[in-house]
Amino acid sequence: MDAATLALDPLRFYTVVTAIGFGLMGLVIAGLRVAVAWTPYRTWLVMLPVVFAALWLGTLGWAALVTIVSIYAFKEFAKATGLYRETLFVLVVYAAIIAMNLFAYLPYYGFFMVAPLWAVAALTLIPILLNRTAGMLQAFALSVVGVVYFAWFLAHLTYLAHAPAGLGFVIYVVLATQFNDALAFLFGKKIGRHHWTVISPNKTVEGSLFALATSVVLAFLNWGIAFPQLPWWGVLAAGVIVGVGGQIGDLTMANVKRNVGIKDFGTLLPGHGGILDRVNSLMLVAPVFFHFMGYFFGAFPG
Amino acid sequence: MSLQFDYQPFPDIDKPLREQLGQYPRVPDITLDVLRSLARWAVIGAMRAQYRIVRRGALPAGERVALLASHHSHLDTLTVLAALPEKRRRQIAALAARDYFFERLPRAIAASLFGMAVAFDRTRYTELRHWARVLEAQREGWLLVYPSGSRKRAEAHDAILFVLAHSGWTLVPVAIRGTAEAWPAGKRLWRPFRTLEVTFGEPLATDSTRRLSDELARFWATGGAADA
Repeated sequence: MDAATLALDPLRFYTVVTAIGFGLMGLVIAGLRVAVAWTPYRTWLVMLPVVFAALWLGTLGWAALVTIVSIYAFKEFAKATGLYRETLFVLVVYAAIIAMNLFAYLPYYGFFMVAPLWAVAALTLIPILLNRTAGMLQAFALSVVGVVYFAWFLAHLTYLAHAPAGLGFVIYVVLATQFNDALAFLFGKKIGRHHWTVISPNKTVEGSLFALATSVVLAFLNWGIAFPQLPWWGVLAAGVIVGVGGQIGDLTMANVKRNVGIKDFGTLLPGHGGILDRVNSLMLVAPVFFHFMGYFFGAFPG
Repeated sequence: MSLQFDYQPFPDIDKPLREQLGQYPRVPDITLDVLRSLARWAVIGAMRAQYRIVRRGALPAGERVALLASHHSHLDTLTVLAALPEKRRRQIAALAARDYFFERLPRAIAASLFGMAVAFDRTRYTELRHWARVLEAQREGWLLVYPSGSRKRAEAHDAILFVLAHSGWTLVPVAIRGTAEAWPAGKRLWRPFRTLEVTFGEPLATDSTRRLSDELARFWATGGAADA
């Protein structure tokens, strides 16, 4: 495969770059003997092939992965808040996740945008069907969060793949958000001094600003391959959306954890916590990135 | 005015999947329940396609029933499941050795989904105290217990019988025949196209562990011939 082919195909490019980068990171961890990094590294060793396999399978594979991840993330949220005891509410949110990803996959823009309305309407019927009042307001409110965050927001990841250069968008948003997460954590640990929020007491001004700056640099570094059609201010916005949106998404779910009184949403991903601990930063980035690109560059069909 | 929600996280949220699969009583889980149903239907279908399963004796009625089965083979649990009605199959939990079935995730998934297994730690004495509390607290449920603790031992352990006898559960002896030949211990593969027999006895008296042990041994030795 020559350099020209790589440059034309973001998926090949990112697959090769990620494989090389990840291999090098393993060597660095082994060389520096950072024992604590091995567990999350091994988990990435499983997660990355799953993500890239879905992308190589095309929009259907990607839609399937986003749907499964959304369902499992919502399940963790529902178990953490206790909503999982209300089976009917949970099933309606599951159905909403499947429906919205289906509309995003097809893609039916009108249905996709109106689907949250129908899902919330369906949720309002449940207390009436159950003929119950106790705990219904809480269950309804948590389910609306489920419909908006886990069904609608995350389904934008499925829709992103439909832009003319959609694969570049998807890969950039997913990888840059995760990179941003890791950088904010690592830089905050190393040089962070000033804590700025009670929602996540380990977050520091230095870590957050560094992650934001790195996201912008990363956006420009990826300009030619992920979104060559964008002007410079579009690239700058992409970096800011990932840098700021990722951290807001992270804080939103950290707030849930503080309220509920848990440390992690689960144990499925050793070294990371639950699936939701991994995708929380994507939740806001995906819809904001999608609608920014859609509004300014008319990037999406349907 | 502040709006205060009352959050009650699930107790297993910080447990690894391997432990979640083995816990009893089972915590409601839509995903696992659906997967268990699918796996159960598949394995019962496969059992019926390969073996003629003969059920003898009357099934006990009601809740809080522990089936005390003789143990010869990995096929025992599937054979008992195939002999039960779907309502009881869905409800039952088979006690399985934690050190064998729940140490590694793939085996835990197989045991939990196909064999309705829950983890019993046969290496810790405090486990019996834990189970005594669990059984006392349960208002409903069916259990499949192998009181011998192993396929290679014929006699029941008195300690587990003592706990069961004092639990208030109905104890029903179950004799299984044919599975030792269909899938002998130590062999990698099973042998299809045979007849497997499951005999359910009358509920056992629980006033004396010694008597319970003797009656159970007699039932297993005769294959439940007298009762059935």
